[in-house]
Amino acid sequence: MRMHIPALRALRTRRTIVLAAALALGAAGCSSSSSGTGAAGGSSSTPAGASSSPAGAGTVSTSQCATKPGVQATGTPIPLGAIATNQPGTSFTDIPNMAKAYFDCVNANGGINGRPIKLYIETEQTNPAQIAADAKQLVQTDKVVGIIGNTSIIECQVNSSYWQKLGFYVIDSGIAPECYSTPNSAAVNMGPRYSSDGAVQYALAKGVSKIVFDQANVPGTGYIAAGPAAVAKDKNVPIVQLTENVPVSDASSVAIKEVNDAGPNGAVVLNFTPPDALTILQAAQKLGLEDRVKMWGCSTPCNTDFLAHSLGPKWDGKLFVNAELTPPDDTNTPTMNLYKAILKQYGSSVQGGVGSFSQMGFTEAEIAVHALQSISGPPYTVQNVNAAFKAVKDFNTGMLCQLWTYGDYPLHIPNNADYTVTANNGQMKTAQGCTLISAADPQIAQYRSAAGTAANAPTSS
Amino acid sequence: MPPWVDFEPFIVSGLALGGVYALSGVGLVVLYRATGVLYLAFGAVGALGALTAWSLTTRAGAPGWVGWLACVAVAGAVTLAYGLLFGPALARRDPLIKAVATIGLTLILYGVMDLLWTTGGGQARSLTLPTDNGGFTVAQIQVTWTQVIALAAGVVLTVATGAFLRFTKLGTAMRAMANDRDITATLGVPVRRVEAAAWLGCGVLGGIAGLLLADLVALDATTLTFLVISSLAAVLIARLRSITVTFVAAIVIGLLHDLLTPIASLTSYRDMTPFVIAAIGLLVLSRHQVMTQSREEA
Repeated sequence: MRMHIPALRALRTRRTIVLAAALALGAAGCSSSSSGTGAAGGSSSTPAGASSSPAGAGTVSTSQCATKPGVQATGTPIPLGAIATNQPGTSFTDIPNMAKAYFDCVNANGGINGRPIKLYIETEQTNPAQIAADAKQLVQTDKVVGIIGNTSIIECQVNSSYWQKLGFYVIDSGIAPECYSTPNSAAVNMGPRYSSDGAVQYALAKGVSKIVFDQANVPGTGYIAAGPAAVAKDKNVPIVQLTENVPVSDASSVAIKEVNDAGPNGAVVLNFTPPDALTILQAAQKLGLEDRVKMWGCSTPCNTDFLAHSLGPKWDGKLFVNAELTPPDDTNTPTMNLYKAILKQYGSSVQGGVGSFSQMGFTEAEIAVHALQSISGPPYTVQNVNAAFKAVKDFNTGMLCQLWTYGDYPLHIPNNADYTVTANNGQMKTAQGCTLISAADPQIAQYRSAAGTAANAPTSS
Repeated sequence: MPPWVDFEPFIVSGLALGGVYALSGVGLVVLYRATGVLYLAFGAVGALGALTAWSLTTRAGAPGWVGWLACVAVAGAVTLAYGLLFGPALARRDPLIKAVATIGLTLILYGVMDLLWTTGGGQARSLTLPTDNGGFTVAQIQVTWTQVIALAAGVVLTVATGAFLRFTKLGTAMRAMANDRDITATLGVPVRRVEAAAWLGCGVLGGIAGLLLADLVALDATTLTFLVISSLAAVLIARLRSITVTFVAAIVIGLLHDLLTPIASLTSYRDMTPFVIAAIGLLVLSRHQVMTQSREEA
């Protein structure tokens, strides 16, 4: 029997409502995973990026990146591998891409004992099964002998035991806790926890009476929050811990809550990706809240000229950001100039240009080349390459506050001293030089107890 | 429970958030009433327009008004192109299929935006309107003219589209077509042209909403694309019919969402507000409908 039109219409409307309801509830139900991705996104863990053109790069020759200027390396390549997150809203591929740019430079200038380095880069979308498969692809198919350039939201967590089992000593940019707390991973960056420690520590040094620490609601927030909590407790300053679902869509209410909780003599410290941090800071500005607390702080992801430029002059001298690597805008050293020159000549696939991401890739490649050069000659195997990686000790990267050491330790936090930069005329400028991250964070204390403090480390904390 | 004074700023921000939801929600209902399509790409076309405006003004150095026009034009053109290409083929299909097809467009646009406006390397963007520079203070919170415009736009949109659909020839044709395309065609209505007008209108609304939301919320493809999901709650409460109910529901959702923020025990759950309210609303409406039907049958 044919249905009456109104009945049919009602049925259609009902079915559409059901679809819409399913979508809405699906979104609600998936909030943790989408948050995770976003966060992932990022987030919290995201190493920062800054961007500007490679100024000054033209005056430096890239030929000094290896031992035989102008001699192209030939022969059997030394295969290395990297895994990086690359998904909508979150891309860390700049880091292995910059490492590859460095290796291209090395290959064009003699290589390693005349052999080129070949870097296999796998990308993943925060899927554990895919990440595990990427590792097997690198090891079993590509036959890599070392892992360098990994930057992934959960790769350390997924593959940590696999690398331990095979005897790989990974050089990476860390995000997940396992990047810092396991024997087989050593990062060039500090990651979200210790970077947040640094931001909170700076605020405490400025005499704030209260800290509000707000971060993306992603897996691992408890681990990250433990650091700032310990640092604040050490100074007897109260700290309020907040988390926000990302991407942040109610930045106004977030900013109001942060400011109300911090009070006029307090500090708000953020740990978000640049887009989310920008959203919150701009909301605060539009609501006229930027002066309602003593200062604003941010972990490393905010260290980007994009953010400083977008915020404008109202935030000059009000926003202080932790920087894990030497600020590129202020620095004119041979290493920094070489980095910019390599980026200019070989880094066409590095989308973010000059900034923390590409600095991390450069630093990791520097360390790997230094280690490979210490091997007397071929064959390059998993055993001798990883032994060389692990043996790196007190290496001056020119990009970090401290000399970098891998070593045989149960945990690795070789970068545990930071800079602080501040928004100034559309750029991030140095506000404080190298400072040790406080050993009030029990993880930092445990690392220093095992590995000591780097030879050239700053003495203050 | 915090003192009342602590809630006052959140009333202001809640109204602004409600205005944000209303802008998207009203746009969704307008197109549904005009074409029978739940246009889930509404947020994505707005995001595409806003990012285009950002590129024109920030990268190409074009004046602001060129960017704003481009935002509306891009959103309108993409929506119109989708309507012209896929509208006829989908016209006789179930509304469910029509809605799912727009998810396809959403994902394509989302991928394109991620490719063209990557967030790699720590890139973050913002789009600010001149109306951000002025405003007034309420409850120690500065209210910008952009927020006022967004709220007013929701009201104007509600009234204007309601009147358009009810009192104009084109609006009547759209409503008729949404009910039954074939019968409308046999009555001599140029359905293709009317459909095209509806799609274009929806795209233009998407562009305007995208421009305002890029300023009010964030210039971020993910945020703007999926903001539409939260707005769906208001649309659901209005059962895809009433523009006025959509507007009011959106404001209530925005207010409740933000008023939960200062309550420590509930603040972590405030993002569930739209969906909880939608679920409660649908349950109440369903119960009311069952009771009404029972009375009629008796």
